[in-house]
Amino acid sequence: MARSKRVESILLPVLDILQSIPILGFFPAVLALFVTTLGPVTGGEISSIFLIVTSQVWNMIFGVYSSVKSLDPSIDQLTAVYRLPLIYRLIYIYVPASRSSLAANSIISWAGGWFFLTSAEIISMGRVEYRLKGLGSFIVSAYESGDVEAYTIGLLTLFTIILVSYLVIWNPLTIKYTGIKSLLGFMRIYVVVEKALSKIWGLIIEKLIMAYSAIRGGISAIQLCFLLSPILLYLYYENLHYEKLILVTSNLYSVITKYGVEFLWALPLTLIRVYSVVLFGIALSILLAYISHTRFKLGVLIVMLGEVLSSIPAMMWWPILLPVLQGFPYGVMVFVYLQGSLWYTFFNVLLFGVSSLKESILELSKVYGIRGKYYLLKVFIPSLLPSILAGGLSASGGAWNASIAAEYFKTENFTVDMGGVGSLIYKQTLAGDTLGVLSTSFLMSLVIVGMNKALWARILKRISGYYVVEQG
Amino acid sequence: MVTMSLSRDSVIEVEAVSKSYVSEGKEIKVLENISFSVGREFVSIIGPSGCGKSTLLRIIAGVEKPNSGKVVFHLNRKPVIGFVFQFPTLLPWLRVVDNVALPLIANGVKKSRAIEKARTALKIVGLSGFEDFYPSELSGGMKQRVNIARALAVEPDILLMDEPFSNLDPLTAESLRSEVLDIWLSSILPIKSIIMVTHNVEEAVLMSDKIIILSPRPARVLRIVDVKIPRPRTRKMPEVQELVDKVYEYVS
Repeated sequence: MARSKRVESILLPVLDILQSIPILGFFPAVLALFVTTLGPVTGGEISSIFLIVTSQVWNMIFGVYSSVKSLDPSIDQLTAVYRLPLIYRLIYIYVPASRSSLAANSIISWAGGWFFLTSAEIISMGRVEYRLKGLGSFIVSAYESGDVEAYTIGLLTLFTIILVSYLVIWNPLTIKYTGIKSLLGFMRIYVVVEKALSKIWGLIIEKLIMAYSAIRGGISAIQLCFLLSPILLYLYYENLHYEKLILVTSNLYSVITKYGVEFLWALPLTLIRVYSVVLFGIALSILLAYISHTRFKLGVLIVMLGEVLSSIPAMMWWPILLPVLQGFPYGVMVFVYLQGSLWYTFFNVLLFGVSSLKESILELSKVYGIRGKYYLLKVFIPSLLPSILAGGLSASGGAWNASIAAEYFKTENFTVDMGGVGSLIYKQTLAGDTLGVLSTSFLMSLVIVGMNKALWARILKRISGYYVVEQG
Repeated sequence: MVTMSLSRDSVIEVEAVSKSYVSEGKEIKVLENISFSVGREFVSIIGPSGCGKSTLLRIIAGVEKPNSGKVVFHLNRKPVIGFVFQFPTLLPWLRVVDNVALPLIANGVKKSRAIEKARTALKIVGLSGFEDFYPSELSGGMKQRVNIARALAVEPDILLMDEPFSNLDPLTAESLRSEVLDIWLSSILPIKSIIMVTHNVEEAVLMSDKIIILSPRPARVLRIVDVKIPRPRTRKMPEVQELVDKVYEYVS
């Protein structure tokens, strides 16, 4: 997609919108679709998987997009000269080119998946609540019933799984494909895992190429669409509720004004909170990056700690946090906001940023004695800037998302409502106001896309020519 | 014909320098007992690629520490070193003039004065008018000129060059070589010695007063050749061709 201007101009904004739709905003639509068509058991499982995936996939897609985009233009000439078909371009160029980005993003996505675990396993909408079998719902149930033993076992299992999976899979994977050194990992076990996986991958490629040569010259993509269209149309009509649609469109005006006004009142608060949190996250990440840049071993520790902390599911924090922060709702809010956004800048800057500091530039600083303030301002921070911005972009999406959990929370003893868009969506969810959740989520997505276009895209464009250190 | 009166008083003394790295538990010897002296002259260090020439240059620059041996400067102060990197190594977020001025500013020169010196240095390498450009707007040859200007701007006692012409097209390389020689011979700057690492034999013969030939890794000094051919030298001079052949023999 990144290699074709036309496809890019359509798909990129679509992705942008999809990425910025908050996970809780997805709930009603996904639930309604899956549970009503497939029943609560299968439908519940599928919607849970769907929700977890939505919390993991966007940074991956953007990672792939930017690595394919930053391929050398001569690669295009290569594929053109030798007329490489799409399947070969995918297997031999696009996938390998995105490998390091996928590996590094897997660390963030893995954390993101765990973070949303409980939200995805306990799906509630108004009075209806679906609890799926799983570690997340097990821990929450144990906590709610006051079963300390089960709760402890659940938490320990969770931590072990998270820790082991990082040490055995994700960290070695990232070390291997990105050359990032500041990670802790057991390479020996990973080698075995990878052997097995690459066998499977090899088989997939073989089958793909076979399938390709089979249909080559047979049917084109357009023909394929025509073939599939009856199925798509059937699915579409099956799931569309005419009455509802007509109702919505006829009331559109009043609906827009009602939810729109509420939204506009709530917007400034959340806007300020989101971008303050993002700025704070950036500052903290730069500070930690500087520490891990100057003290390597400490850096490894910081990253490992970050991996565990970022993976702790949102709801697991409450039992630890609430006693401490009972009288201080602002603290809880800031914490949830940070948990939902800090990690994007953290991993981007500490993994990508620090490892993108070019040896040649460091040597330049050494040879000419560029130290202290000048080193920080003229060399270190500018070198990190691309990853600061990439992280900041995802972090702002994450912060918007987190606003739903941060601005309104309820325990047995007390309810805190800090106002803002997040609180609005949460209250609409509690009230079972599907239309409200959808329209508020939609408006929120619009604002996010607008901010991305107005703010990040411009900064990115401005620096893209100047901030990538080339070799030679 | 310009002939420099070469005073052979030693400026730099490289004394029994050895260096090895440890990689995956194995010790790799890079430099072994390297000794030579450099006077007020242009010295080339030549050897097969990967033999440790650049490491030696970094040790002389003081960026890396030898495992044993030392480098002594016979100056009455800490030497000011200019370093021309193999690749331009410019900070893409700084304008050309700021790139050149940065080492000065970082070492306490007032900003206005540093910019002034940077402009002068850029003028010497023929880049007047490009001060406000960003590196990405320059050609490869121009970037390498900025790299050289940055080394000149610090008004170095010692100029170290790490294969400075190896990544340029032959024509650009040729004109830059003669410009560097002109700067060196005209004495407009207080440079006392130049040490250039190269693997181009002809370049070494055409430019330097002395050629130090290193062996493959671990590098030892194979031979030191004095070049007494009068300047300006051209490729066609029989003495040049003769010496080039001779050095080739020593290298291989």
